[in-house]
Amino acid sequence: MLAHPAIAALRSDDAPQRRAQAALGAALEQWRSTPMVRTAEVELTRCSDGADLDDLPLLSALFAESDAAARFVSALVGVILQELTRDPFGQSPLRHYIDDAVASVTVLRHGTTVLTLQAIDGLALGRKAAPASVRFVPCETWEKVLAGSASAERIALSGPRPGGVQLDRQPLAIDDGSVLHRRGQVEALLLHLVPTTLVTLRLQRRTACSDITREYALEDGALLHQAAGTPRDSRLELTAALLGRMGRRDAAPLLAAMAEERGNVSLRWQVLRECLALDTGEGFATLCRIARDDADPLAAHAGALRAQLIEAHPQLSGIAPCPVS
Amino acid sequence: MNLPKIDLSALPDLDVLTGVFGSLAKPAQALVQDDSLIVMMVFVYEVTHP
Repeated sequence: MLAHPAIAALRSDDAPQRRAQAALGAALEQWRSTPMVRTAEVELTRCSDGADLDDLPLLSALFAESDAAARFVSALVGVILQELTRDPFGQSPLRHYIDDAVASVTVLRHGTTVLTLQAIDGLALGRKAAPASVRFVPCETWEKVLAGSASAERIALSGPRPGGVQLDRQPLAIDDGSVLHRRGQVEALLLHLVPTTLVTLRLQRRTACSDITREYALEDGALLHQAAGTPRDSRLELTAALLGRMGRRDAAPLLAAMAEERGNVSLRWQVLRECLALDTGEGFATLCRIARDDADPLAAHAGALRAQLIEAHPQLSGIAPCPVS
Repeated sequence: MNLPKIDLSALPDLDVLTGVFGSLAKPAQALVQDDSLIVMMVFVYEVTHP
């Protein structure tokens, strides 16, 4: 393996890198303390709490036809580049991501609301296979194009059909300065051609935590996949599975309470299964309560499972508070 | 009351399964559009000295 002498030298003495890191961190802290960024942080918090973008003067200016976004981003990029020019070994403390086609930096974040600077490399995008599916995510997105252009497609859900949905596909030309807004549960954007590099500032706000992501085939709108809409739901599901594998019977009351909460039905069902396997009495009583609640989207499934379990284990019919239907 | 032990594998799933956050059916073609990408990093370290 070849290593540049300057990088190789860091193996025995990493002090220069630590200094570069500290300097970059200090410069970014200074940027964060400027009135413009402080205001942006306050407005991002309000946005995360559900405020309308029109009621947030700075954020709405960023996603309007003005040069506000360019000025906001220039201030940040200027700070980072100045430090990196002085010392290229510094690493940005802002969360960042890069793959062959996309580079992004999380500028500000509050909860699940994020302001991101993103660059999409058109050449790399062109090497990717044409998309065969489209995802609808529980997320509202505002985008301001800072540089570049793209040929894209706006895809909207126009109605359900057996096994999937009907998709309404409209071509969309994205130009320098364009402002885009979409509600991810019913609208998606597919980029087809980016002649150079597309640089955008993007504000994304996740919607209610019980929503899930759905992926459909572009060709016919068939449902291909569903996924949890937030990391929290997946974390809870994995935790419940772990408690089940550990045989933690003492966790059954907690799992029973989780199964009866409002929210992601898939998560609730998996938690209910774990609860039943850990503690038959606790789990079955919970199953019966869910089955009796007509307003619960899991009521029919719970009723069917209750009948199946009583058939296999008749003694379960004696568990209160379950009237056998 | 003496209740039977129910085997987890005997309990059915819902008709359509829901994968973990960030999972995709066609990941090769997906362009990262949001923060739903998960990068897993494995750390291996010694808990006892040899």
